[in-house]
Formats: sequence, structure tokens, C-alpha cells
Amino acid sequence: MRGSLAGLTTIFRRELATVFRTPGYGVLGVGLLALLAGIVVVGGGGATGFVPAIVDLLLPTEVVVPLVAFVLGYRALLTDTESGEFAVIRTYPVGIGGYVLGVVLARVVGLLVVVGAPYVLVGAGVWLTAAPDTGIFATHSGVDSPWLYVRFLAFVVPFAATYLALATAVSAIAASRRAAIALGVLTVVLGVLGGDLAAVGSLTGGTSPEAISGLLARTPNGAFRGLVFEHVVGVAFAPEGGFIATGRALASLTAWTVVPTALSAAALAYGRRLDAFLEGIRASRRG
Amino acid sequence: MIDDAVASLSGVSRTYGGIAVLDSVTLDVSPGVTAVVGPNGSGKSTLLRLLAGAAEPTTGAVSVADSPGPKPIGYLPQRVPFRDGFTASETLAFYARLVDADPEAALERVGLSDAADRPVEALSGGMRRLLGIAQATIGDPPLIILDEPTSGLDPGMRERAFRTATRVATDGTAVVLSSHDLDLVDDHADSLVLLAGGQVAAAGSRGELLADYDVASVDELYRAVVGGSVATDESPAVHVTGVSNR
Repeated sequence: MRGSLAGLTTIFRRELATVFRTPGYGVLGVGLLALLAGIVVVGGGGATGFVPAIVDLLLPTEVVVPLVAFVLGYRALLTDTESGEFAVIRTYPVGIGGYVLGVVLARVVGLLVVVGAPYVLVGAGVWLTAAPDTGIFATHSGVDSPWLYVRFLAFVVPFAATYLALATAVSAIAASRRAAIALGVLTVVLGVLGGDLAAVGSLTGGTSPEAISGLLARTPNGAFRGLVFEHVVGVAFAPEGGFIATGRALASLTAWTVVPTALSAAALAYGRRLDAFLEGIRASRRG
Repeated sequence: MIDDAVASLSGVSRTYGGIAVLDSVTLDVSPGVTAVVGPNGSGKSTLLRLLAGAAEPTTGAVSVADSPGPKPIGYLPQRVPFRDGFTASETLAFYARLVDADPEAALERVGLSDAADRPVEALSGGMRRLLGIAQATIGDPPLIILDEPTSGLDPGMRERAFRTATRVATDGTAVVLSSHDLDLVDDHADSLVLLAGGQVAAAGSRGELLADYDVASVDELYRAVVGGSVATDESPAVHVTGVSNR
């Protein structure tokens, strides 16, 4: 079994086994479930329906999901580079692209389980305890529906993937676990707050309010929130939409996933050369 | 590069923090077991890392001959890097899948078949190192680089590690290794390189070097070329590795 695909699948299998053999990730999933269930209960419980539950979960999701994604990803590539195993793997016929993709895809699968399962369970809880009219499978506005919750989940997954990709990039750049944590915290804070603060700043700077949805779509949180308003929450009470350009938001989430992944591969591919180049400069200055 | 060289370093220097660790090293690595001797900080691990492609030289060039197989280099770093949570068999199976090799045969080659189902973290330091040797030799690479493969091993294990290295250093395979055990180097190495202060103090075939310096053993050769006391595992002041000179 040779070739780049074989290398990718072999890396993927090992990484997936690593994720599922890490007890901490299971604990993380259970903690997330408790948090989400608690939020829904405090917000009135499942009886209030899916849309109220989604509204209650939206803001916590924007903070908690990036944090969980970072926990899953901040050491994804660092583990092997720090231990020296990456240098060993590089002696095998595995391309850096295949290595990074294998690691990232396995972590995405792990993320689907750790993040997805709690949301699915909370959704099931809402379904079981919801008032009778929330059980209607509505395809039109003004009616609560489990499908709206499914749509919400469909947006949570790519949103989580963007932060996993960012975390992976941090793990490729950071020289140590401590540096990865520091960079990760900075990235989450910038991601969660930075986009909104920049939008507010641009408004006070004279940007037209009509442009705000376009600005928000540029950040993962803004794109996610916009999509949820446009296709989930807004369906029930503002069917005319206009919260965000769907295509632009989806393109933004895709870019925030693909670009950091490509950066991770570039960091691993050229990091040693860059290090040697910088060392050459240092040495010439000393000499 | 000489005709039968498996790898070569040409004018290779490497600095860390602006301080030279290796300075203008030019070497050819030929088939057989080769070793480098030098005090701590003389640049042995850096030399091996450069040869394995784990680090880039600041100046100069490292070249490795084209490999007919899927894996041109087998590399065991100074610190055995395997992930916890996997058994010895699973660890080797991961690497074996990458080159279509038989993990069981590789485990058997280093005498670890009985420990196949043990988690890596439950292996002794010596067994982890043997697992590392199995990993480095899997896929039959023409160049095998073992950075201190006998570190932490008892005398029996050391002998086994060297015997394994000697056994694979046939049919054109070059094994470059480091060890504290000069007696075993004396018994098994075909070529030697002595490093001092990041530079090659002496290099060549073992027999020629012993004759040139008019000494009877590698131990005496080290004293004659590098000076000072020879390290043991209890006082690890000296390392030995193997490469041949140009």
C-alpha cells in the first residue's frame, strides 16, 4: 500500500485512534453536554421549542465551540514535531500535505463526535420535551421545527472546523506546548471578539450600516452567526432575511478552514529551511 | 561523493543561536557500519540530524543517493519518539503500512516479539530503543541512522543492538550509529569519524586509523585524537558514531 493516498489514510487512522484513546476528549464532550443542557434548561427547558433553544445556545456556542476545537487541535501537529516523531515520519514516503490532511481530517472526525454528539443529544432532549406544535416538520416560516435545529447543527460543524484548522495552524507554528496555548488563547479571543469589535470600529469610522453584514461575514463568528440568523432563527420571525449573504458566509467559513490548513503544511514544509536561513543570518552577524 | 557513497556532506556547517555546532564538515558515508566519536557538544547528533534530513544545514549541502525502495533513510533519533497509548505491534504496524513491510518480522529481528502487545509506555527504555531500531530498519532503507542506539541498554541488549546493526549493514546498506560503548564499536564498526569542537578531527576506515595513529583499539584512538577520558554510560562524556572520510 503505497502512494500519497495510502500515506494519508495511514496517518488518518493513527490520529483517529489517538483521539479516541484520549480520555480527556470524552470528558470534554460530557462537559459540553452538561453546559448545553444547562443553558437550555435555564432558558426555559425543551418545552419552549427548538428556536428558543437555538437562541439560548447561539452565544455560548460562539465561545465554547472555538475553545473545544482548540483543545482538540492545539497539539495536533506539535505532538509529533516536539517528540521528534515527525522527523522519523519524514523518512517515509508520506508527503507533508498528506500528513497534515490526515491529521486534520482525523481531528475533524473527533470534533464531530466531541461537539456534535452533545448538540444532537440536547436536540433530542428538546424534541422529547417540546410542546406539541414544535414537533411539526415545518417547511415554512413562523413554525418551530426540528429541521431548524438540524440546520443549526449544519452550521455549527463548519464553524467548529474553522477553529480546528486555526488551532492546527497554531500547532504547526508554535515551538512548544506553552507557546501553543498562548497563541491559541490569543487566536480564540481575536476570533470571538475581534470581528465584532472591528465591525463596530468601522461603523464609528463612517462605514455604512448596510455594509455591516458583509463585514461580519469575513470572520468565522460573524459568518456563523449570520447564517444562523438567516436560515434558522430568522425563518421563524423574519422570513425576509437579509442578515447576511449566504454564499459569502459559506465562502468565508471555507476559507477560514482551507487557508490555515495550507499554512500548517507550509510551516512544516519550509520551517526547517527558514530556521536554517535565520541561523545563517545570526551566524554572519556574530562572525 | 565517492562512487559507492550512500550519502555525503559537503562543507556542511550548522549553527544554533549563532553558535557553530558543526563547522565545514565534509564526509562520505559508505556501506557498512560506521561510527563518529567525540565529546559531548562535538556535534554528533547534529551531524546525524542533518544526514537524516531532520535539520537543514546553515551552509553546505547534504546529499543522499537515490533509493530503489520506498524509504531512502531509516532514522532513530537520540530520544525515541513513539506515541504513548499504542502497543509495540501497533506502533510498528503504522510504519510498516507506509512501506508495505511486515511488522512482525521487524519485531522478531530485534527480539521484541514477546512484547508485541505491550503499550509503548510500558516498555523499558532499552526495549523502546530496540523498537526504534526495528522502526529504522523497516522497509530496508540503504542508509540507516541510529543516534545512540545503545543508550540505556544493559550489556546484553547493547550487544544485541550492535549485532542487529551489523546484520543489516550488508548488501550495500550503510549504518551510521552512535554509542558510548567503544568496545562494541571496536568489534563492529568498519569506519570511524572523530569529531571535536564541531569539526572532523579524524575519519576513515577503522583499520587505517588504528594503523595511522599506531594504536590497538578505538579507545586508544579516541585518547590519541580527541584526548581526555573516555565516557561510559555512568559518565557519558563521549559519544561514538560512524561515517567515513573523503
